[in-house]
Amino acid sequence: MKPRLQSLSLSVLGGVVGILFFLPLLWVLTNSLRPGSETFAHLTLSWRTFFELKPTLHNYSALLSSDVGRATLNSILVSAATVVIGLAVCASAAFGLAAFEYRGRGLVFGIVVLSFLVPFDAIAIPLSTMFRDWQLTNTFTGLVLPGIGNGMAIFLLRQFFLGIPAELVEAGRLDGLGWFGVFRWIYLPLSRPALIGAGLMLFLFQWQSYVWPLLIGTDAKHILGPVALSNLQGQNFADYGLVFAGAVVLTVIPLMVIAGFQRYFVQSVASSGLK
Amino acid sequence: MKRLLPAAVVAVAALVAGCDGGSSDSGAPAATDNGPQTGTVTFTGTDNAETYQPVIKAFEAENPGIKVAYTQIPFDQFNATMQQRLSAKDSGIDVYTVDEPRVSQLAAKGFLTDLSDLDDQVKTKFSVAAYKTNHFRDKLWSLPMWNSTQFLFYNKTALAKAKVTPPTADPQQRWTWEQVETAGRKAMQSGGTKYGLFMEQPEAYYQLQPLAESLGGGSGIEGDDALTPAVETDGWKKAMQWYGATFASGLSPRGIGGFQTGPVFANGQVAFFVGGPWDLKIFGSSKIDWGVAPLPYFEGGKPVTPTGSWSLGINPASKQQGMARRFLEFATLDPTGNLATSSTTTIIPANLEAQKQYTPKMDAFSGAKTAGAAAITAYESEHTAVSRPVSVGYIQFEEVMGKAFADIRNGTNPDTRLQEATRQLTDAWRSIK
Repeated sequence: MKPRLQSLSLSVLGGVVGILFFLPLLWVLTNSLRPGSETFAHLTLSWRTFFELKPTLHNYSALLSSDVGRATLNSILVSAATVVIGLAVCASAAFGLAAFEYRGRGLVFGIVVLSFLVPFDAIAIPLSTMFRDWQLTNTFTGLVLPGIGNGMAIFLLRQFFLGIPAELVEAGRLDGLGWFGVFRWIYLPLSRPALIGAGLMLFLFQWQSYVWPLLIGTDAKHILGPVALSNLQGQNFADYGLVFAGAVVLTVIPLMVIAGFQRYFVQSVASSGLK
Repeated sequence: MKRLLPAAVVAVAALVAGCDGGSSDSGAPAATDNGPQTGTVTFTGTDNAETYQPVIKAFEAENPGIKVAYTQIPFDQFNATMQQRLSAKDSGIDVYTVDEPRVSQLAAKGFLTDLSDLDDQVKTKFSVAAYKTNHFRDKLWSLPMWNSTQFLFYNKTALAKAKVTPPTADPQQRWTWEQVETAGRKAMQSGGTKYGLFMEQPEAYYQLQPLAESLGGGSGIEGDDALTPAVETDGWKKAMQWYGATFASGLSPRGIGGFQTGPVFANGQVAFFVGGPWDLKIFGSSKIDWGVAPLPYFEGGKPVTPTGSWSLGINPASKQQGMARRFLEFATLDPTGNLATSSTTTIIPANLEAQKQYTPKMDAFSGAKTAGAAAITAYESEHTAVSRPVSVGYIQFEEVMGKAFADIRNGTNPDTRLQEATRQLTDAWRSIK
C-alpha cells in the first residue's frame, strides 16, 4: 500500500509540475489566437485566460506582412548551413582527435573542451570587431561562421568515435581505404545518432542566436527570427497578439526538429563515452 | 605533425596582421572627405520600419541617386548595441536616432559628428528646450526630430457609471493627482474598472519626473557639472511616497511592465491612464469610450509635463558624411521631411513649422474622443514642459532611478530606496567626475 501511495503522490506531483511548465506555453498559444487588444482582457485567472472560444488566425496572417516571415526563412537558412558545414568541420576534427595517435593529442583535445566552457556571449564583442574588420557585417557568412566550430559537438563526436572498434578500421585499411575513406565509409555511417545529436546542438545554437546578429548588424535582408520577434515590440506600442504568434512560429520549428530527432539525441548522449 | 607548428604560427601571425590592418583602416577619419554623392545611406533606429517609410520615400524622391536603408534594432537592446557598434567605429551606420537625454554622453564619447555649423538654423526652427537638449559643451551634436508630451486619458463609461464628472481638456481646469485618486477609487467601487490609475511606463524616469517636479523636488540632478544626485529632496520623497501607495493600495496594478499597460486601459480595466500622443491613435480602435485631459499636478504644487523625444545624429565613423547630412537635414530642418517622420506614428514633429501644421490635426485623431488634444499640446509645450536633465551621467541616472522606481512600486520604503539611489549614483558618477 505504502509504495503505491508514494508512486501515486509522485505521479500527481509530476503532473502538477508538468502543468506548471505547460500553462505559460498554452497562454502564449491562446493569446496568439486572440486580437492583440484582448491579450490582457483576462488578467484574473480563469479558464478563459487559457482558452479562446472564438479563435482567429488574424495574427498569423498579419505576421506574413511583417519581417518575421523573411526572418524565419533566414533563420532556417542560417541554421541549416551551420548544421551542414558545422557537422563536416566538427566530425573531421573529432575524427582527427579519435582515430590518430600523436603527441599533443590530449592537449589539443583539452583546448577544444576548454573552448566550449567559455560562454559565447563573453567573446562575442571582440569577435564582432574582428568580423567588422573583415567586412563580414550584414552577410550570411558572418552569421553562420561562429556557429560552425562547436567544442561541445566535437567533444560528443570524439567520444562516440572512440567507441568504434580499431579492428574495423584495420580491416578497411587492408581493403585499401584511405583515411578519408575510413572516415567516410566506416566512422560516419556508424555514428549517425551522434551526428544527429551534434547537428541538433548546432541547430539550436543558431536558432536562438540573438546577441550575435545584433552585434554584426542585421539589415532587413539578413534579419533573423529572434531579432524580428523582438522588433515587433515597438517603442510606444506592442501588439501582443502578433508578438505571441511570432513566438509560436519560432517555437514550433525547433520543436518539430527536436521531436523528429529526439530519439537519436538521447541515444547519442547516453552512448557517448560509455562504449 | 611537427610541420604543423610553423604553419600555425604563420596563420596566427597573418590573423593578427589582418586585424591590425583592418582596424586602422576603419579608424581613418572621414572628416575631410564627405564621401560619395550618390549611394545608400544606412539609417539605424528602434522604431518599426513603417514609421520611416514616408520620410525615406520623400527624401529619395527629392534626391535621386541616394537611397536610404533603414535597420531596426529592438528597443530594449538599442542603447547597448549602438554603444558597442559605435565604439567599434562601425561604418555600417551613417545616421542614427539619438535619445535626447543621452546626447551629452554620446558626444563625450565621440559617437556624434559635430553639427555646430547648423546652430543658427536650429535656433530658429526648434523650441528653446529642443535647442538646448541637443547641445553639449556649447556644440550642437544632433538635430531634434520629434517632441512629446503626456495626457491623462480617462474611461468615460466607467466614470459615468461611478457618477464622477470627468476632467475637462482645459489646462486651466487641470485636475490634481488627489482628485484622480479619489475618482479612480470610485470607478473601482462602482464604475466597473479593476484599477483606478495606471502610467504607461510605470518605471520610467521620463514619466515620473513630473511627479517630483510638480512638488518642487527638482530633476534629481544638480551641481555645475550635473553630476550630483538630488533625489532625496522633500518633493522627491513626497512624490515617491504617493506613488508607492498607489500600488500598495491596489489603485494601480503591479507586475505589468512599461508599454504593456496600454491594452489594460483599452480593455476598460482602468479608469485613468497617463500616456503619450501616440496613444491618441492607438486607443482609437478600443471598444470603450474615452477622453483626454491635461496631465495632473499635486495639490499645492505646480503643473509640470515631460517633453523631448528622439533626435537624429551622424556617426563620425560614417564614410558618407555628405549624404548622411542631407538625409538628417531633410528629416529635421525641412518641415515637409520632418512632418513625414510623424505621419505613421502619432508623435509630435519637433520642427516648429511642421508642428504648426501637425498639432491642429491631433483633435481629430480618434474622432470626438481626442477633442482638446491640440490645445493641451500647445499649452504644455509653452507653459509646463520640463526637459530631462542634461548630464554626461544621465545613462547611469536613468538606470539607477528605473530600478528604484521598480522597487518602490513593489513595496520598498521610498525614503530608504531614494537614499540607496543616491549612494548608487554617487558611486557610479565618481569615475566620470
